[in-house]
Amino acid sequence: MRSEDDPLSRIFLALANSTRRAMLARLAEGEATVNELAEPFDMTLPAISKHIKVLERAGLIVQGQKAQYRPCTIDVTPLQEISKWTDQYRHIWESRFDNMDDYINELKNKDDNNE
Amino acid sequence: MSDNTVSKDAVVIERIFEAPVALIWKMWTEPEHFKQWYGPRGFTVPVAELDVRVGGKHLFCMEMSTPDGAMKMWSTGEYLEVVPNERLVYTDTFADENGNVVSPSAYGMDDDAHPEFTQVTVLLEDLGGRTKMTMTHAGVPTDEDGANSGWEQAFDKMLEHIATVSNKK
Repeated sequence: MRSEDDPLSRIFLALANSTRRAMLARLAEGEATVNELAEPFDMTLPAISKHIKVLERAGLIVQGQKAQYRPCTIDVTPLQEISKWTDQYRHIWESRFDNMDDYINELKNKDDNNE
Repeated sequence: MSDNTVSKDAVVIERIFEAPVALIWKMWTEPEHFKQWYGPRGFTVPVAELDVRVGGKHLFCMEMSTPDGAMKMWSTGEYLEVVPNERLVYTDTFADENGNVVSPSAYGMDDDAHPEFTQVTVLLEDLGGRTKMTMTHAGVPTDEDGANSGWEQAFDKMLEHIATVSNKK
């Protein structure tokens, strides 16, 4: 299973952690540097960077290019896209039925080989 | 689709599978088959207990490995209609591993969000070796208020919060 390929999985993964949700809440108040984001947490900077990378991969934050600061800003677009439960579940069910199709083909191939 | 269980707040998906209707029925009702497809991309299904009879319960577990360890999401519900090879209706709600209904906060969602009660309806139509499947996943109003997904409420809250904060500037 390749959860990393799927935008919705990346968003769920990003939000499934209280530290990352706290970071997003902080960024909702304005941009922040990595050090500022790290401040409320008893964590090493590499651990904080890992969380930032997960949020970045989900498209929820953007890290600037200013050499010294590289401030992070929030991007709410991915949240808006999946804010309706029917949108989330449509995506989930389509993915399931793709699996069902693949699995049916697998079963057919097994049958063919046995014959 | 005219079905009185379908509210406008529902997901309706119609698909045609190149398989006989009996096999598609097994996909929904036999754990061995169910586990192979029920996890959306990125998820596996380590547990699928399916007591497929009217009044019988189900317990599903979907698991995704994350850098923070495995994230498990359980759901439970009751079979309401069971007509082999034709029609399957069941409810689906967040749960813990023992099948107790839990609040969405158990899955990292907002504490104020209500548990979500939903209903899944599967209609199968025999097309002679092929099968037309129509799946409807609808929110079911609860006693206190309209059913609303925990995620939806959590996201709404976050978006509201963001809007409030932005407006203050």
